[in-house]
Amino acid sequence: MELLITSLIAAIISIPYSLIIPGIERKIQARIQQRIGPPILTPGFWAVLKFYYKKDVEPIAFLSRFYKSLIWLGIFIVLFLLFFSMPSWWNILGWASILGLVGLLKLEESLYVFMGAQSQSFLSTTMPVPDLAKGAKGIGIHREFLEQHSAERAIKMMAVGSLPLYIALLVPFAIAKSAMISEVVRVQNPGFFSLAFSLPSNPILFTVPGFLATIVYFIGYVILLNEKPFSILKAKIDVIEGGVLEYAAKLRAGYYIMRNLLLFVLSSIFVTLFLGIPFDPLKPFYLIFNIILSLIMPIALSILVAFSPILTFRQIYPSAVGLSVLGALALIISILGV
Amino acid sequence: MMERKVVEKEISIGPVHPALIEPYRIRLFVNDEIVEDCEININMAYRGIERLLEGLPVEKALLITERVCGICSNVHTWNSVRVVEAGLRIEVPDRANYIRVLINEIQRIASHLIFFGHAFEVLGHETFAMRSFLLREVFMDLMAYIGGNRVMPAVPVIGGIRPRADLTDSLKRVISERINDFEKKYREYVERILADSMIMSRLTGVGLLSKEDAIKYHATGPNGRASGWNYDIRTLMHEYEPFDFEVIVLNEGDNKARVVQRALEVFECLKIIRQILKNLPEGPIVNRDWIPGKMNYTISYFEAFRGELMHSCALDSQGLIRGYKIRTPTPTNLAAMERACVGDHITDAILTIASCDPCLTCCTRVEVINFDESKTMTVMDIMKKYGRR
Amino acid sequence: MGLKAIARKNAIHAMLVYTGGCNGCDIEVVNAIFSPRYDIEQYRVLITWNPREADVLIVTGCVTWQMVEPLKKLYSLIPDPKGVVAVGACAINGNVYKNMVGDIGVNEEVFAPVDNIIPVDVKVPGCAPRPEDIIMGAVKAVPKLMEAP
Repeated sequence: MELLITSLIAAIISIPYSLIIPGIERKIQARIQQRIGPPILTPGFWAVLKFYYKKDVEPIAFLSRFYKSLIWLGIFIVLFLLFFSMPSWWNILGWASILGLVGLLKLEESLYVFMGAQSQSFLSTTMPVPDLAKGAKGIGIHREFLEQHSAERAIKMMAVGSLPLYIALLVPFAIAKSAMISEVVRVQNPGFFSLAFSLPSNPILFTVPGFLATIVYFIGYVILLNEKPFSILKAKIDVIEGGVLEYAAKLRAGYYIMRNLLLFVLSSIFVTLFLGIPFDPLKPFYLIFNIILSLIMPIALSILVAFSPILTFRQIYPSAVGLSVLGALALIISILGV
Repeated sequence: MMERKVVEKEISIGPVHPALIEPYRIRLFVNDEIVEDCEININMAYRGIERLLEGLPVEKALLITERVCGICSNVHTWNSVRVVEAGLRIEVPDRANYIRVLINEIQRIASHLIFFGHAFEVLGHETFAMRSFLLREVFMDLMAYIGGNRVMPAVPVIGGIRPRADLTDSLKRVISERINDFEKKYREYVERILADSMIMSRLTGVGLLSKEDAIKYHATGPNGRASGWNYDIRTLMHEYEPFDFEVIVLNEGDNKARVVQRALEVFECLKIIRQILKNLPEGPIVNRDWIPGKMNYTISYFEAFRGELMHSCALDSQGLIRGYKIRTPTPTNLAAMERACVGDHITDAILTIASCDPCLTCCTRVEVINFDESKTMTVMDIMKKYGRR
Repeated sequence: MGLKAIARKNAIHAMLVYTGGCNGCDIEVVNAIFSPRYDIEQYRVLITWNPREADVLIVTGCVTWQMVEPLKKLYSLIPDPKGVVAVGACAINGNVYKNMVGDIGVNEEVFAPVDNIIPVDVKVPGCAPRPEDIIMGAVKAVPKLMEAP
């Protein structure tokens, strides 16, 4: 019963809160670009409401119902990511561990592959212009939708790009010498289990491996969210938005919620694992500290986005490998216990 | 031995797409991520301008030639005026020539800044794109002050310039203040770009166009000059004789060279503007002493912002236009673009096309498809025969 | 004014379709979006390139015949409620391409005005219109969106 109530409270708090984040992000970018920029609620909150009130249309997709269901699946995956990091779930079946987190993140990434494979937007191949009539080159070649190309890129990103994040996630667990989130919090903040509020006594962020892992985690966060500079799978200039192109009306609102929630949840997990302040709806002080501290990552992200171009695979492979090596270094240091 | 290309699939982009704001279609034949072949279809902007001009009085024709292209409107007006002036042997006052050069150079800078805006937008770097559009506002304002419209200043008329566009002393002072301010900011902007390692890693060594290819495909203008081909019609034009400027030639021929070439060219334009403000002669601005009459077929070449531009026409005995022909720089640059983007990633290929600065509205023509029957088909005919897609 | 109208007023997604013409209006629209001096985003208009996300379709250019079908299709894909803003003289009456013909009489290549193809709500005249006017046009389409069921 307590489980249900806390989960419900967590969902009710986190979804509206996460919708403020894109507005803050957009405002910071606008300020860097020397302009005023949209009001803070506009890109997230009001946009979602507006899409919710739009008339539903059928997406052009290969398996339309499957395509539509993916978005709800995505929201549930992200919500469960948040639940697993909550203290009331720590005792359930051992899911509140490195395994649960990594498994759900991998599932979340693979959603983009399915979305890309299904969506068949008219912006590329099916555009009604006389095209084959020119017929000069390449007759009879397989013509691919932009979204399918995006799906292929998503597979590559799954294989290479997301490695840094997982390695960085391992580091706090290696320091705590346990696979459970509760142990990670106990190492950093022993007072959490007894007191109403206590600041973490020795957060992992301020140790050498923790700091290295934070850098890697941040870049991994950017890669997982497909933001610039690692936004190759939804690079605006060739695949436009990738697999999510065809989501309209309520489904688009769902997509906004999913993406912004992921933005919030990943940084909330960071605060839980590296600072030892969990997202706990039953202990308001921890809750408030957690959600305020989890603004740091989106803000850093928006500054990075404003100053970087899109990188191609020519640059992504080396940087992902380099970051993985850095993450592995942090892991080795933490295991040796320096 | 011939190299065999493996083409796995085709990716087609456009005409409604964020990377190509103008309506055209790119068909990329790719092997995984690598572009093996490229086809650019530009027929979406065909309006039949040359046909519209047939039978119009020459003065009216200026209205249409100005609207061939909205980025380089002054180039087309000026060049169509030059054709008539050369054919009818109309003397142009010196002061008019100076002011024509002035507005042309102002628009050249604005065009190059659009190029930066577009190229950085395609690169994914919104901040620099916006910065470039902010810097460009200086020149849009100046155009509005001189000609009365931000986009279509319509300064040249046959025999001189419009009286409204005459430079007063206060306007001269405004221009010189604004460009001094601009130059300071622009220098910082360019230095900031060249120091950014992430952008340079995207630009360097991508989209190579060798000098031989540039000459073979006749990629004139900044694209050819960035590949080491020293070719600038401004050095041959009598209007530009009084001015001292350098032709910027770079030898690399990659995207970085194309960006840097234009960045440096803006400084040369500023140099010309300064000389105009300093040495502007007094005198009349327009020569009304001419009548439209029979004119033989006359050709005028011109250095537009993207390369070599040709206008040519004849007048009949009533002074109506016959056989107007326009050849804009982009068709020849297009072939070079298709060549340059082979062998790169898709994202880079689109950047290469953007870095060649396509301006496709002006260049759409009839296509010859059916070689066997030696027949010229318009796109409309092709569609009737083969259908859409 | 209900929550629905407030939400629609506060977030407007605009999409630009350029249907042939001289690039002038096109550059001015891009200017209104990208130039920090005009900055359309401060008026709660966000830019998108995806018809599924858009509310307001900004159409520029005289519609050449190849762009007729894509334009119709694009309009049909935008979920209701939606508004269309025709920007520039070409989109409103065909400008010189339609009205200033020499010997041929009728220019068959140009299908302007946009009214002939899709219903237009707001017209922004000018060749080329200033960015201020374009922003005003995009915002003027909002009452129609707000009143829609």
